[in-house]
Amino acid sequence: MAAGLLGRAARVVGGAFALRIGLWYGAVFAVSAAALSIATYALLARALAAQDHDVLDAMLTRYAREYARADLPGLRALIESDAGEGRHERLMVRVVGRRTEVVYFAEPPGWSAFDLAPLSQRPIQAGWTTISHPADASVLEVGSTMLPDGVLVQVGRSSLVRDELLARYRAGALEVLALILIVAILGGVLLTDIALRPLRALDGTVRGIVRTGRFDARVETRGTSDPLDELGGLVNEMLGRIQALVAGMRGALDNVAHDLRTPLTRFRSVAESALLSDDPMALRDGLGRALEEADRVRATLTALMDISEAETGTMALTPAPLDVAAVVAEAVDLFADEAEDKHIVLASRVAPGVSLVGDRTRLRQVLANLIENAVKYTDPGGSVTIEAQRGADEATITVRDTGLGIAAADLPFVWDRLYRADSSRSARGVGLGLSLVKAIVEAHGGRVQVESEPGRGSSFFVVLPVAWHQNPTGRG
Amino acid sequence: MRILVVEDDRSIAEFVANGLRQEGHAVDVTDNGVDGLERARTQTYDAAVVDVMLPRLDGLSLVGALRRAGVTTPVLFLSAKHTVDDRVQGLQSGGDDYLTKPFAFAELTARVQALTRRGQLTIEPTELSLGDLRLDRLTRRATRGGSPIELRPREYALLEYLMRTAGRVISKTMIVSHVWDYSFDTGTNAVDVLVHRLREKIDKDFEPKLLHTVRGVGYVLKVA
Repeated sequence: MAAGLLGRAARVVGGAFALRIGLWYGAVFAVSAAALSIATYALLARALAAQDHDVLDAMLTRYAREYARADLPGLRALIESDAGEGRHERLMVRVVGRRTEVVYFAEPPGWSAFDLAPLSQRPIQAGWTTISHPADASVLEVGSTMLPDGVLVQVGRSSLVRDELLARYRAGALEVLALILIVAILGGVLLTDIALRPLRALDGTVRGIVRTGRFDARVETRGTSDPLDELGGLVNEMLGRIQALVAGMRGALDNVAHDLRTPLTRFRSVAESALLSDDPMALRDGLGRALEEADRVRATLTALMDISEAETGTMALTPAPLDVAAVVAEAVDLFADEAEDKHIVLASRVAPGVSLVGDRTRLRQVLANLIENAVKYTDPGGSVTIEAQRGADEATITVRDTGLGIAAADLPFVWDRLYRADSSRSARGVGLGLSLVKAIVEAHGGRVQVESEPGRGSSFFVVLPVAWHQNPTGRG
Repeated sequence: MRILVVEDDRSIAEFVANGLRQEGHAVDVTDNGVDGLERARTQTYDAAVVDVMLPRLDGLSLVGALRRAGVTTPVLFLSAKHTVDDRVQGLQSGGDDYLTKPFAFAELTARVQALTRRGQLTIEPTELSLGDLRLDRLTRRATRGGSPIELRPREYALLEYLMRTAGRVISKTMIVSHVWDYSFDTGTNAVDVLVHRLREKIDKDFEPKLLHTVRGVGYVLKVA
């Protein structure tokens, strides 16, 4: 129900967005088209006016020449013949004598509305005059020319025809504009809708994830280089990373829960059996064992947190230039007594001058873990040897033992958390040591390797870059 | 000495306060940062034990405010986190030392003692003794009942440490950190091996036994 509403809201929002963009497109397009039409109209009106002017000019010259040649009768004959042939539009023609008397006047029918008085006012000059129509918007344009004998010839023409033409153009242009506006808006909305489709898909996917909390949904992409499609691809990639991270964290949490349950169970049973006993010594002993178990829980928790931090790249490492021989010596020192007691030869053969940049405490921890394992799984009379060589840009530290070795089937899993080969079940430990080694070494940008021959011994290799480059994402 | 404990978990606060009282200190306890700051500012303490996560005012801010007010009482932070960043932050805010939960009480008292000793010039005796066990720190020679005991460097380091802290329980972590200078939980039995060796040398042929194991806590050097 809620999902349906949300989806509909998303569609409406998306639709309104497309409509808005479409309207904007339409408006911009319509304004452009209107500007174009107005410009065309202005040009047309000007061209028409100029043309009318030219006609008047030509007729004025024609009539003036005729009047000069054949006087009034000739002019009259010419005007009548022009009108009769219908070749020329009927014009107003006036001839005004020297004493302002109108000697000739011809007008097309229905022109009496124009007030022609201004045409007779002195001083009459040659040139152009316009007289407005008292009722409509048309004007009478009159051209005058003065002949040598002082007679004035005037030719006039109404702008009515031109105005009608322009009016028709206006009406037609408005219709076309309205049509353009409709097409522009519809087309804009449609195109926007199509263009926004990938965004809507993205929106839907993200909404789905927000709603359900499931990160396995992916945006549909078409694999083109279209920016929106690429955005979808990027979002998918990001989702993949988040999913991996969440899965990793869930896995880590599961591991923590598992790793803590076992020692907590021991803790509980120790305390319970101590409580059930009446013997004060047993009580003391139980409390002591409970404390030991508590310490073991703490150690496990610390190791798990360290592994998680190293794997996710959040472990704070303090890089410093290190003399590998010194770090190895410090780690060996911790197990010297134990090895001696077990009659194991614990020796380090580190070439002098092998150095690298790393976190001293953490690398000491790495070596301590490896040496501890080696001493633990080597029988009396055996040996544990630590070597270090410097390569071009890497240093390799090897912890070699003559212990019981690891079966080939177990080798790939020795770095896994909590993995303990059957043969080592009896020995005590939380099984996190090698995972921690691997995590710390990888956080340093290095790698770990193991070789083993059952019955003859194992070699653990730690390969570290000499220069500092902390792996930023861990195992991501 | 007078010590202020600011800790909101009641059972931890009681554990710390009772332990410190048994050591002969006068202890004030409060369960929130605001009250803790008020007390630390208005009264004189030789040391303060402050939890980092506190209601009303966290420990880091508390100590920061205290230092700005010019109070130099040494502070030991307690925290349930363990990353280096927290540690650095704690020390930057003006704390003097840092202890991660859970902790052994022996470590807490050792650190509180170290804090209050800090800045004072203590003249350490050149010869330590406990019962008929003697240790000359100049010649690095040990005798028990007059007979010389040959000690290796690590054994000497452990014995000297235990004799300086005689009567006090010392945890394995403290020994690892003191003898080998390791700051992380090694989980190894190196300490057991070393203690075993030392015991062979100073206790095996003598009575009374001096080096005692306190199960689950650590070791203590004392006469009976």
